[in-house]
Amino acid sequence: MGRRATAYCLILPSFLLAAFIVLWPLKEIINLALHDVNRFGLLRAFSGLANFRTLFADPDFLAALWRTLVWTAGVVGGTLAVSVPVALMLNGDFYGRGAARVIVMLPWAVSLTMTAIVWRWALSGESGMLNSGLRGLGLIDGNIQWLAEASTAFPMQILIGIEASIPFTTTILLGGLSSVPDELYDAAAIEGAGAWDQFRFITLPLLRPFINIAVVLNTIYVFNSFPIIWATTQGGPANSTDILVTYLYKAGFRLGKLGEAAAVSLIMFGVLLVFTLIYVRLAMREEAA
Amino acid sequence: MSKLTRSVLYWLLLSPLVVLVLFPFAVMFITAVKPQAEVLDPAWWPSAARWANFAEMWRATGFGGALLNSLYVSGMATVITTAVSIPAAYALSRYRFAGRGAFRQFLLVSQMLSPIVLVVGLFRLVAAMGLIDSLHAVTMVYAAFNTAFSVWMLQSYFATIPKDLEEAAWIERASPFQTLTRVFLPLAVPAMVVTAIFTFINTWNEFVVALTMLRQQSAYTLPIQIFSLVAGRYTVEWHYVMAAAFVATIPVAILFAWLQRYLVRGLALGAVK
Repeated sequence: MGRRATAYCLILPSFLLAAFIVLWPLKEIINLALHDVNRFGLLRAFSGLANFRTLFADPDFLAALWRTLVWTAGVVGGTLAVSVPVALMLNGDFYGRGAARVIVMLPWAVSLTMTAIVWRWALSGESGMLNSGLRGLGLIDGNIQWLAEASTAFPMQILIGIEASIPFTTTILLGGLSSVPDELYDAAAIEGAGAWDQFRFITLPLLRPFINIAVVLNTIYVFNSFPIIWATTQGGPANSTDILVTYLYKAGFRLGKLGEAAAVSLIMFGVLLVFTLIYVRLAMREEAA
Repeated sequence: MSKLTRSVLYWLLLSPLVVLVLFPFAVMFITAVKPQAEVLDPAWWPSAARWANFAEMWRATGFGGALLNSLYVSGMATVITTAVSIPAAYALSRYRFAGRGAFRQFLLVSQMLSPIVLVVGLFRLVAAMGLIDSLHAVTMVYAAFNTAFSVWMLQSYFATIPKDLEEAAWIERASPFQTLTRVFLPLAVPAMVVTAIFTFINTWNEFVVALTMLRQQSAYTLPIQIFSLVAGRYTVEWHYVMAAAFVATIPVAILFAWLQRYLVRGLALGAVK
């Protein structure tokens, strides 16, 4: 058996497994999105883009689309703003660094579902431990009904999203920082560069590829993230915290609008493809450099 | 700046994050040991820790069955994922072949597509095969969606194993199979174990697929079982829910705390190389 044939045999099982479970549903979704589908999933007439038109005429969908943008930008931006300084500190030498690393990484080990359920309880208005904690510290007088209104629920969901995204981002950045040779800093210090200049002219440029990749990957993960919003508010009250994934899930499995749900899937697929292309270009540029 | 000053400063700066991270664990644990009468009290500390909650929770929530389902699904999915990923990662790191780039891109795209985007299609696939409520169907979906990550991690580790050793074995007239089993695999075992554990944790924590495919309570995995104690209920027994969440979370968190440094290496290598 030739080397090439061996290589194909080696990749074949993984390819078949992934292809079957990714491509078959994708074909199904394209089919559904372009047909009039009844609530039991039977395809009726070919309807072209009618499902998409229905979506864009639905104010709830447009609101969810906009909220997805805020959600993604908020979580990804917030995560980066926290993770860069945290990674710099965790890369430094200080007492208890091992413990600090474990604590920062800890949310990664907890499933998003559990995190969201615990927060749902902690945020409960009457008996939630956040309210009682804040009251005990004298920060608030009355109870805040955190999850009863989008204006408090959505920011809290973004905060939970940030908490859950920090470990992964910090991990990528730490990997990047460990590749910066110490000699560069020694040389810069001899040249009289202060800490801020060292950060701006050495750390940041060398870290940039890692930041780029962390941002793109986070964007993809957060854009797709379902459990945090589903397990805290299920997109409620009155769809006011819906993002695309929860809108999709409701349309498909609550309201039986399979055609529209499939159309949302395809729109998301398109957006994800764009993110993926950006990632590939960034990763390739890195490889070429 | 002395190391001591820096330590104090860093811990001060990190303290808000430390509080944010540890707060859910505190809420979980404190609620889990509260006596039932005090659960809805807004006070932080219980009058006494009631450890019996854990045993009662086990019975009241059907924890054991869900635990077995989770162990089965995650265990099988990890075995399948690892079994198909090792050869693929080996091929990517040791062979040049036409379509290598295309295969890598395919993996990348399948990693980008989370199950939620495909959930309607996945549901139809599973329903068409009559496998709703089947743990095996969930297992296969998990294996498929974790293959990309697993191949990715493995090949970045495999690439760090020097080829010289294998070449030396060939010169000594070892067959390719002997080279593989005697030289390469022993060196690759740590990477395989670490990757398998991460696959296990990923599948252990998965939500959407299980929520969609598993309709009968007897088939629920842990995240769905615990979610079902909260969702759409009028009265939620929060001390049981938190006890269940705590028991489901802590073993994984300990495993993870122990392994996180391997992840730093593997991901950093895999992400840009």
